[in-house]
Amino acid sequence: MNAIDPRVHQALDGELSPEALSPELRRVVEWVVTTAAVLAAPLPLASLEPRVMALIRRPVPSRARRLLRWLATPRSITFRVRPVWSLALAAVVALLTLFPIGREGPDIGEHEGIAQFVGRFPEAQSVHVVGSFNDWRPGSIALEDVDQDGVWRATVVLPAGAYEYMFVVDGERWVPDHLAERLVADEFGRENSIVIVRPARR
Amino acid sequence: MRLWLGLALCAGPLAAQSARARLEGRVPGAAVPVVDSLVQRASGEGLPTEPLIQKALEGGAKQITAPRIVAAVEVSLGQLRDARDLLVHAGDEPPVTPGEVTTVAWALRRGLPDPVVERVLAALPRPPRASAMHAVADLAAHHFDPDSAADLIIAAIGQGLVRERLLDVSAAAAHELQRGHTHAEALALVRQELPNVPTSPKPTRSAVAKARRPAAPPPP
Repeated sequence: MNAIDPRVHQALDGELSPEALSPELRRVVEWVVTTAAVLAAPLPLASLEPRVMALIRRPVPSRARRLLRWLATPRSITFRVRPVWSLALAAVVALLTLFPIGREGPDIGEHEGIAQFVGRFPEAQSVHVVGSFNDWRPGSIALEDVDQDGVWRATVVLPAGAYEYMFVVDGERWVPDHLAERLVADEFGRENSIVIVRPARR
Repeated sequence: MRLWLGLALCAGPLAAQSARARLEGRVPGAAVPVVDSLVQRASGEGLPTEPLIQKALEGGAKQITAPRIVAAVEVSLGQLRDARDLLVHAGDEPPVTPGEVTTVAWALRRGLPDPVVERVLAALPRPPRASAMHAVADLAAHHFDPDSAADLIIAAIGQGLVRERLLDVSAAAAHELQRGHTHAEALALVRQELPNVPTSPKPTRSAVAKARRPAAPPPP
């Protein structure tokens, strides 16, 4: 750091007239006075406030835009995984792919469909559906009343086609399906219901 | 080709041979030989035998007496013959397919008049016609005039609706009835919609999950 000439100090303190100084020292005194005046001037606070307020008032970007920006911003992620866990995870994924959880029920063929039988028999102990789809063999397809509300149901996979059927209640009472819209005389003095099974894979 | 022809010719008699085995123990003993002879006769005439066997099994399961079972099987045989004659009359070349005979027999049993069946057959010169027949019969069961019902289904065929979707046409007309329209209005509304009638819902995933196959019948 250069030392300031003591005469400059004296001139700045008013102890010495600037005219008494050499032209070079007079220029130094003038520079110091000018610089001090600039430094002494107040900071432009008035110009900072509007800028801050403008920033605050700027509309907030939408959630989607923020998400997009977050997604687009490059980030570095470090995984520290033991190889044994990686292999275990791969094995679990492979097992879930080969043996999916929650897949129940039979595989339905191209020419097969689903028939749903529903009947209301509040006093019944057992209900079966018997028809041309099971050679009229009583007892092979039982309906269930799971919630004990008197409504008996069965869902059956059958080859696509038309079938005649009846319900057998308590093993002895033959009853047509009152919900079926299709009925046909059975040539034995009663009516059979008709179900048309459409291919499930349409 | 010869092998296939041989197999096709043997299929009927073989089916007829196995009929007695299926009937034994399920149908009153007195009815078995008579029903068996009726099955043999149907097979000889190129008619389907399964409806006759099913009718006998149904009678046995319902504990119907032998004479009534035989009578019912004879009625069924007559219906199959009528169905075959109708098919030939409508232009099918004999021998007609057993599946088509069964289809037409169903339609006649469900109360469709012969001329209506013939009109539907003429509109669909090639099998299978089961969906069309059931669609017309479904409409007739909902008290639509059979001729008008046939008109609607034939119009749907003309609009290029695939055969399995014909049942959706009859379902749509029945739905319009439930919504309070008259029969004529329902037919007109569905005709306007053709061929874009609503598709019947497919079985839900939960229904498929609950579904089971009927237990296999015990060996005879």
